[in-house]
Amino acid sequence: MRQDRWLHWLLLAPALVVMAVMLYYPMLGTVYESFHETSFLNPDPKFVGFALYQRVLADGTFYTVLLNSIVWTLGVVLLQNILGFLTALLLNQQLPMQGVLRAIVLLPFILPGVVAAILWRFMYDPQLGLVNSLLLQVGLIDHSIAWLADSRMAMASVIVAAVWKGFPFSMLIYLAALQNVDQSQIEAATLDGAGPVRRLFDVTLPAIRDVVVVNIVLTLILTFNYFDIIWVLTKGGPQSATHIFPTKIFETGFGQFRFGEAATYGVFSILVLALLVALYAIVQGGANRRRAAA
Amino acid sequence: MKQSRSTRLILMLLQLLLAAAVLLPFFWMFSVSLKPATEPFAIPARLWPSSPTIDNYVTAFRPEFRTYFFNSLVVSLSTVIITVTLGLLAAYSFTRAQLAAMSALVGLVVLAQMFPHSAIIIPIYKMMRSAGLLNTYWSLILAYVSVTLPVAIWMLRGFLLKLPASIEESAAVDGATPMRIFWDIVVPLSRPGLIATSVYVLIVTWQEFLFALSFTSTKDMRTLPVGLNDFIGQYGIRYGELMASSVMVSLPVMAIFFFLQRYFVAGITAGAVKG
Repeated sequence: MRQDRWLHWLLLAPALVVMAVMLYYPMLGTVYESFHETSFLNPDPKFVGFALYQRVLADGTFYTVLLNSIVWTLGVVLLQNILGFLTALLLNQQLPMQGVLRAIVLLPFILPGVVAAILWRFMYDPQLGLVNSLLLQVGLIDHSIAWLADSRMAMASVIVAAVWKGFPFSMLIYLAALQNVDQSQIEAATLDGAGPVRRLFDVTLPAIRDVVVVNIVLTLILTFNYFDIIWVLTKGGPQSATHIFPTKIFETGFGQFRFGEAATYGVFSILVLALLVALYAIVQGGANRRRAAA
Repeated sequence: MKQSRSTRLILMLLQLLLAAAVLLPFFWMFSVSLKPATEPFAIPARLWPSSPTIDNYVTAFRPEFRTYFFNSLVVSLSTVIITVTLGLLAAYSFTRAQLAAMSALVGLVVLAQMFPHSAIIIPIYKMMRSAGLLNTYWSLILAYVSVTLPVAIWMLRGFLLKLPASIEESAAVDGATPMRIFWDIVVPLSRPGLIATSVYVLIVTWQEFLFALSFTSTKDMRTLPVGLNDFIGQYGIRYGELMASSVMVSLPVMAIFFFLQRYFVAGITAGAVKG
């Protein structure tokens, strides 16, 4: 047994070392960097205490980035989960061609993020894009809209592109959960005279509650940290209208070589993400208690 | 559950609508990639070019593109091999060893999955710079191995937990050492898990953008996503070529996905649904 213990530590060691050096150490490193200033002209880090935090908080862009990150995350998470769930419900019905349809629905998920972004950039193009062309033909708009260049439309436009790319992932997890729901419960509810909507709310949803929670937390984290779509579509513009934490960090760090400030944004981004997950946990916990009490 | 005739009809219409909404952008990407440079864009958009041609593919398959493709291949395949190997070794111990620290270690793996890449990239960049690894394959492979490893361990752990313990137990009774059990029993039995995890790691690394954009500075080291993004500015809005490149970037992962879909779907959902 003693020998086994050594062997197991030996097998664990490479993975643990990689995670310690390349994930946990950098995580602490970000905190360290946020207290040290560097710039393109002065690449040697200099300890400045909380000066960078004060500077970031005094800059109006921070609040734009904060608000954008929240709008972007909530928008994508809500739409992606609703759409993903409805699609999973449809794919869980006994209908022809379901296997083919599932494979088709998964396509956007496998499409590389940069390709999806370039494709949507083209879709949104004011002169050549399919979006304007279709909406004009149907008569929903009477002139072409510059979706990504208009600061009122840009956020909604990037959210739509991200949902199109991301909803298959949520669908996949919901579908697996739906296939695990005990069919005899549904049949019992049907015999009791419950219609499809009642069955959905009284049997199906309670049965997959844990998966809904996992799915929402997972998409929340992935969306909050998603860089590719926004960077390729708008680079955070126009006028920071779509800047979120990842794009702002990249721009500050690798566009302007202000590593200290970029790290400060990084620390804030971790705090905001943790807060969002905690808030969701509280809301979900409250809902569970109400359900238990009812 | 049997549906009435009208319900069935509505559901099938919804199926059609869903397929159309997903496929329309793909169809357009493909159609524009076949559009001759001389054929103008028009509103209302023409869904299929009047005289399709593969010229765009020929032009887009320029030497730079081939370099990016090769770089992506080297980085992605190396990452898959290293991540899956380290992941399987760790997952084996995570599921078989009785160590006091085990639940804490599993917690660290789960937590590491949530680290925002943008929030840890600056210290990693500085480490690579000190080690002289910036603008090399190694900077990307090391970064990709570390960000994919926690999820890979998690997926493989899910698979190993489902293997029946009895086979290994009887081998142990017959006097097989843990190492022997690992090679002769666990590795062959976890093949579906290894395939699923490999496909997952491949899909993630093939499209990785943030690290590749930050760590590579010369054209000969760019990977496909970064190279593709460069094309946007470089060639103005030559969408035909851009779409042809996009199709060529997407095809390899799509092909692999379609052949191994079964394993991949099982792997992705196992962790979330059972875990």
